[in-house]
This record gives sequence, structure tokens and C-alpha cells, in this order.
Amino acid sequence: MAEVSLKSHEQVSKHKRTRSHPFVYLLPHLAIFTIFFFIPLIFGIYIAFTKWDLVRTPVFVGLDNFKNILFSNSIFHDQLTSGLWHTILFVLISVPFCVLVPLSLAVMLNTKPKFAKFFQGLFYLPSLFSISAVVIVWSLIFNPNYGPLNTLFNWNQVWTGTQPWAWITIVVLTVWWTIGGNMIIYQAALNGIPQDYYEAADIDGASSWKKFVHITLPSIRGQLLFTIVTTTIAQFNIYGQPLMLTNGGPNGSTTVLMMNVQQNAFGSGQSLAGISSAMSVILGICIMIVSMVQLFLLRNKD
Amino acid sequence: MKKSHFWGVIVTSIAVSLGLTGWTSTAVHADDTKEIIFWNPFTGPDGTSMQSLVNQYNKTNPKYRVKNVSLTESDMYSKIPTIVNSKKGIPDLQIVHVERIKDYVNNGLLDSYNPYLKKFSGINKDNYVPEAWVNGAYQGKRYGVPLDIHTSFMYYNKKLVQKYAPHALDDNIVTFDEIKAAGKKSQKDDIAGMGLTWWKPLFLSLYGQMGGELTKNGKDPDLNNKTSRRVVNFYKDMHDKKITTQDGDDPMQLFLTGKQIFLPEGIWMNNQIKESDIDYGVTNAPQLSSDSKKIVNWSSSHQFVLLKQPKRDQARTEGTLAFVNWVRTHSIKWAESGQNPASLAITKDPKYLKMQQSFLLTNKVEQDSMTIFNYRYNGYLADYLDRYAYDAVFNKTSVSQYLKKMQNTVQDEVDAQMTN
Amino acid sequence: MKNKKQGASQWLSFIFLILLSIIWIMPLLYGVMSSFKSNIEMQSVGFKFLPINWILTNYSDLLQNTANTPVFRWFLNSIVISGGSTILVLIVTSLSAFAFSRLRFKGRNVLFIFLLATMMFPPVMNIIPLYKIMTLLGWANTPWAMIFPAATGAFNIFLVRQFMDNIPLAYDEAARIDGASDWQIFRIIILPLIKPVLFVVALFTFTGSWNDFLWPSIVFSDINKMPITPGLKLLQGMYVADIPTLMAGAIIAIIPTFILYLVAQKYFLQSMSLSVGVKG
Repeated sequence: MAEVSLKSHEQVSKHKRTRSHPFVYLLPHLAIFTIFFFIPLIFGIYIAFTKWDLVRTPVFVGLDNFKNILFSNSIFHDQLTSGLWHTILFVLISVPFCVLVPLSLAVMLNTKPKFAKFFQGLFYLPSLFSISAVVIVWSLIFNPNYGPLNTLFNWNQVWTGTQPWAWITIVVLTVWWTIGGNMIIYQAALNGIPQDYYEAADIDGASSWKKFVHITLPSIRGQLLFTIVTTTIAQFNIYGQPLMLTNGGPNGSTTVLMMNVQQNAFGSGQSLAGISSAMSVILGICIMIVSMVQLFLLRNKD
Repeated sequence: MKKSHFWGVIVTSIAVSLGLTGWTSTAVHADDTKEIIFWNPFTGPDGTSMQSLVNQYNKTNPKYRVKNVSLTESDMYSKIPTIVNSKKGIPDLQIVHVERIKDYVNNGLLDSYNPYLKKFSGINKDNYVPEAWVNGAYQGKRYGVPLDIHTSFMYYNKKLVQKYAPHALDDNIVTFDEIKAAGKKSQKDDIAGMGLTWWKPLFLSLYGQMGGELTKNGKDPDLNNKTSRRVVNFYKDMHDKKITTQDGDDPMQLFLTGKQIFLPEGIWMNNQIKESDIDYGVTNAPQLSSDSKKIVNWSSSHQFVLLKQPKRDQARTEGTLAFVNWVRTHSIKWAESGQNPASLAITKDPKYLKMQQSFLLTNKVEQDSMTIFNYRYNGYLADYLDRYAYDAVFNKTSVSQYLKKMQNTVQDEVDAQMTN
Repeated sequence: MKNKKQGASQWLSFIFLILLSIIWIMPLLYGVMSSFKSNIEMQSVGFKFLPINWILTNYSDLLQNTANTPVFRWFLNSIVISGGSTILVLIVTSLSAFAFSRLRFKGRNVLFIFLLATMMFPPVMNIIPLYKIMTLLGWANTPWAMIFPAATGAFNIFLVRQFMDNIPLAYDEAARIDGASDWQIFRIIILPLIKPVLFVVALFTFTGSWNDFLWPSIVFSDINKMPITPGLKLLQGMYVADIPTLMAGAIIAIIPTFILYLVAQKYFLQSMSLSVGVKG
């Protein structure tokens, strides 16, 4: 069926002179992409192979920066390994929540309860806020002296200054802040599943759980894959939450790689842009590998 | 229908804001305008003071008017190297902290004042606080003209001092021993002796009092030593004995609500404390010894510098210096936000002498107490002290680990720098 | 029996949703309430949900301090920037997605995968070179510095393309037989049909640009030209110990995206009936 329509599509095109070159449609995006993303990216990667203070001309040093951060016992090696580990830890804890929470919300909303629209709006609401606004709100909640958590329950917990609470506060904030987008995508996907699938299963007497596993999940597999990959990429880039909520503490235990990247490039001392860039190249490679593994594991098997 | 409604919202809002913001006037500064672009990190009360200072200057009809651009400190420092490198939109006049100057000179970020100083004889060492003036020069050339010298000293609650440490202030020097004695008494009433506020000045001030030095050869840091161990253990001991505030406490809030006797803080915080109804006084930062010759008050200085221009314009630069020179004699405005101007002309102003922070400038002993920790690679050290702050004092890591990491971090960062 | 069962799960969901939404809204409501408290009240009184004395001075002080914190100005700048980004993204994305979905050309899939793969590099890598390009163009401190980079992303193209792929090719063919050009097919057939996904893209772009944080704090040095998110950071430095005023600033900053969302929300529902077609 698809082949037939494809053929006729091409046949028609041969006869028509009104066909424009596809490039015309691609040009606006490709031009913007090249100037404002690709060229800077290439230059950014090049910096990883140089010593640079952002002021003078970068000096090419080959693989020195990578050797330094990967194999030496310098502080930069520590920064890379501990920063990467903390980032991965955050990804491992937060991604499941950032997928499962919005998924269950979408499933509940899909039963079309009363005020579904209101609920949807409410859960999406935090996604509209900037990270600064979100941190302002939550640092009030977690404030050890006059935050509602401590004053209301008479607790005496320094939430952002002790582990494991520091990570928990960061993850709670992240889940609260970011689930809206995924929820919308799942809702849309669930809405698109033909009702007769479920009706057929009802006749067979399938339980709700079975229906969820055998009908719902396979039907939204594409959306799940998409959101898992995009959420993972987003969480790998975590920066604002630990910076503003915990300042990377206690004792550097929430210092993520992006914070080290940022500080090496734009810290108070002379910029170490080469090392900073090498760290972000490593981060980029990690993200690519993880995304490809995810795509491979979750690929369409048919 | 619905679509047009949606677009309506966006298009109208853009049209409205286009009109209001005038976004088409793009250029940050065109070289032919008679306006000097002045970047500084002043926000809050400082920002207001600087703006009114600039307004006052512009009313004198100078040849070059000044345009005041306030930025957040971290953003401003991120921008300086990038903007100098891009060679476009470089501000004519820039404020930086004095500790940056050595590094900036070495990185080729600054132009020297020397060729222009002849015309401005007022800008000389006799007219400025020595500690601030001396640190504005490097390798025999002048790169910074001080605006102020700002100190981290100590606020105290008058009522609580009377109750717990009635004689501590007799000599205007509050020693750590006096704080410890007061804190022991006050903790029974759930009142903290001293607030653990900003770690960097607390650490450096005590390190200085104990005779510690940040470097032996001017390049390599020397931070993991007997003295630094003593300093961290000293504060840790005070913390463990509950003399100081604890992890998670907000010292400023405790002070403002009368639950803390001593608050070591910057003179720049004065405005905020003034707004509360606390009866407070100010004195030197906490000291080890009551010998007035040994006082150390951690200080820094905001300095006017000239960022490197590809082609420096003689007339523009003179216009810039005219402003810098004018500020020297009009800096009473700068004192109003709680700061101490570095210009000695201010000490003759009766209005200034009534201000609380003036005791630091009016006598020689206090002037000498103000110490700028001007290690060339201070930036790396500051980043470490700000990020890991009280982790050792609050027992989140061991003192030896903390100092070892501090030494390694600064050493490796110094070694990784681009050299000339 | 079926209806009964469905009714039960509906009620169960309803109860869960109520519980969760209370958890979700509380931090925000508490923040809103705090913005009407005085700083002294905030710091000295124990837990009180509602202010004892309702005050508006946090808002009025903030809006009046135009020299240091021109909040209203930032607000307008943000509308220009986010609105401009949204328009550019919609144009560029729908055109590009059309090519990827409907037009055949050599290396189509390779190009598409390449575009997606580049998105995996952390954005911080581009910042320094991008800053240089902006200063070369003289665009630092102008809305263009944010509008153009916003349109580089490939995820939006991915979303729109997937949606387009669900539109039967038969529509195009019918039009082609009637002599329609590619452009006419795009304008008359495809564009109206992809409206729902474009609303989703518009919302994502608008909020993404509104909330962008790292890049604007580098590229804007003029306090009067910057958008509201780096502005909020400026506020944070200025009102360190004044949480109610900070909160007031945060609330002012979220109003426009909130309104946009109220407007766009019904299109979300509409887009659902057509499904955001993301296939693996």
C-alpha cells in the first residue's frame, strides 16, 4: 500500500514543473542551524584541544586536556569523575520519576474524570516557570529556619545541607518542575489509542493491569521512547538546581559536571576554557552513548 | 478563528513592546558619541548610590557624559574576558575587585593609566588610603584607581553585649576569647554568640592574624599548612561548643531577631541592618589578641580600571579620567550606602565622620588594620572557599581532607593556566 | 457492568488527582501568600499559611525601583524575545518538517539523524563562540541574540515531522493531480492540519525562551535590554534576605507564560484528538 502510493507520488512529480527543490524548504533552518549552532559547536570542540583563557589566541595542545581530565591524578580528573558520577546519579534517580509520574497522571486523566482540564493545567503549570523562580519558591519551602516544612511539623532538618536530603530536594524540585511536557505527550498518545482495543480485551476479561501492559504500553511505545531519550538528555545537562539550591554541597556531593564546566570557563580566576570544553565534550559523548543505547534497547522490534 | 485569536495575543504584545522598548537602537556604544560606558557590579543600595553619583556628575555638563551599567558580579566577570577578546562594545571604564588586577594585567586585559596621569595630579598616593592605593599598581605601573576600601568588620547587639559581655568593647577590640566566654553564657538562653557568615573573610582574617601567607614564591599556593589547620580547627572548635551558629542557621536573621550577639559581616550590609529595629553597634572583626597593632580586618577594594582597547582614544580616556578624578572629591554619596571611600578627602567631611564605618578611616591604627589579601591567583582560592565553605567546620569532611583538596585545587588550576 | 467499572476507575483517578494536585499547588500557593507578607513577619512568625497583615508593598516597591530592577521593562523585553522566537521557530520548523516528511531527496535520513545527533552536545559548549558571532553581528544586547539561536533546534522539527507523517499521502496526491505545487500543498493542505502540533511547539518554544537562563546572562550586559529570567537572578543578588520581595518578582515573571498557557490549553486538547504522532 505504502509502496504503491510512493510510486505514484514520484510519477506525478516527474510530470510537474511546479515542484520546487526541497532545499528551499530546508534552507531557513539549515542556515540558522549552521551559523548559530554548528559553527559554534565545531569551534567549541576545537577549544577542547587548546589551552585558552578566552582573551588571547588559543594554543593548540593536542590531546593534553583529555589526558589531564581522563588519566592524570589532577584535580580536574576528580572534577570530571565526581561531577560525571553525580550527574549520572541524578539521571538514574530522576528519569524514572520524570517518566512514571507524568505517565500515571496521564493514565488517570485519560479516564476522563471531572475537572480533567483543570488538573491538566495544574500539573503543567510549574513547567512554565524559570529555574530561578522555581528555586526561589522551593528554597522557601526547605528553609530550615522559617520554611513551612520545618515550622509546620516541628522538624529540625537542614534539607539542602545534609545527604540524602540534598539529592531528594533536588529531585523533588525537578519532578515538580518538569513533568508537564511529558504528561501532555502521554495524554495525547493515550487519547490516540482506539477504544475498540480495550473493548475487545474487556470481552476476554482482561484485568486493568493486563490491559495496561499489553495494550496501553505497546501503543504509546514511540512516545515513551521519545520522552525517555529527551528527558535523559535534559537531565544530563542539570545545572541550575544544584547551583542555586545546594551550591553543590554538602562537601561537593551534589556538584554536577556542568557546574565544573561552568566554573572552569567562567570562574573567578583566569579562564581554563580548554579544560572546560574538554569536559563538555566528554559529557556530550556520554549523552550520545546513553541515547543510542536507549534507542537500541527500546527500538521497534517489528 | 481560534488561530487568529492566538496570533492576536502574540502580535499585539510584540507591537506594544516594540514601541515601548525601542529595541531597534542596537549599538551598545558607538565610538563617536560623547558618552562613556561604565560597567560595575553594583546592585542594591550600592547600585542606587552609584547611579546618583553618576547623575550628579552628568549634571556638571562634562565633555563626556557617563552611562552607568550595573551587572551582577558573576555575570560581569564572565563577560569581561569575552568582551575584551571580541574587541567590540568594550566599556570605557570598569570596576573590578583589586585582587583581580594582577591576573588581568598578566592576561593582557588592562591598559595602564600612566600615560594620562600627568594631567590629573589629584590622582596620586597622598590622596588615597595606602592599602587600597598600593594594590592598584603592578610591576611599577598604575592599573587601578581605588573607589573604596570595603571591610568585613563586626556588628553587635548592644543589649546582648551588655548582658553577656559587658567589657568586651572597652578597647573596641572584641577577642575570640571574649566571644567564647559570652557564647557560653548566652547559649543557655538559646542565643548564639557569633554568626558564621561569609567564610572567606572569616578564614582569611584569622589566617592573617596567625601570620599565615597564601603563597611563598608568589606563584604556588601554600594553603595546606600548620596555620591553616589551626584556623579551621579554631572555628570548628567554636562551632562544636555551640558558641557559633550551626549548620542551616541564618546568622543575619538570628541577629535581626535579637537571637545572636555578634555578627561579623561586611560594612556594605549596613543598610539592611539599619532597616530593622535592632539597637546595634559596629567594631573590628573578631581578633585573637587585644593588641591594637595586630588587628587584621579583611578588606577588598573596588577599583576603576581601563579594559584593554584595540585603539585607545586619547580624548575619551581623558574624559574617563575626569570622572574618576571627580569621584575622588565627591564620594560622600558612596559612603551613604555604608561603604568606605578610598579617597582621603572624605575624612574631612563632617557628614561622613558621623557615619558608623568612619572609625576605620579616621585613625592610623585602624587604617593599617585593613588588609587586602592580594594573591595573584586569589580567584581560584575564592571559588574554592565559596563553594566548600563551612564543610570542614560543620563536620561534613575532615579538616585535613578539606585543606588538602584546597591546596590541590588551587595548585592544579594555577598549573593549567595559559602562560605568557 | 462495563460502565460501572469505568465509573469506579474514574472516581479512583479523581481522588488521586485531587490529592496530587493539592501537593502540587501547595508550594506555589505558599509562595504567592508569602509575597504578601512583610519580611519581618516572614522571618519571625512560625508557620502561617495566610499573611497576618496583607501588604502590597513588595510588589509596588519592586515595580517602582526602575533604576536597578526595571521589572516591567524586562517583562516587555521577554515578550519581544519569546514572541519573536516563537514566530521564527514556527516558520522554520514547519518548512523544514515539510521537506523531511513530504519531499524526497538524497541523504534525507542522514541529514535528519545528523541534526538530531548534534542536539546531544551540552549547550554550554557553544556559548563562547556564539557570543563571538553575536558581537561580530552587533547583536549582543538585542533580542536577535536570543531569537535566532532558539530556532536552531531539531527536536521541534522531529515532533512536527512525525505529526505530518500521520497525514495520509493521498491528500497530497489528490491535490497534485489537481495541479497543486509543493508550496500550495504545504500552505493549503498540510499547514491547517498540523495546527495542533504547532501550538504545542509554540508553547514549548515560548516557555523555553522565556525561561532560558545561561545564554541571556552572558549575552545581555545592558540592564534595560535583558529579559526577565536573568533579571530575576539580578533580583536574587539584590534581595538576598528579603524572600517576600523575591517571591513577588518570581510571580510577576510567571504571569505571561501562564496567560499564554490558558490561551493555548484548549489547543492541547484539540491536538490530542489528532494525537501528537511520535513514532519510534
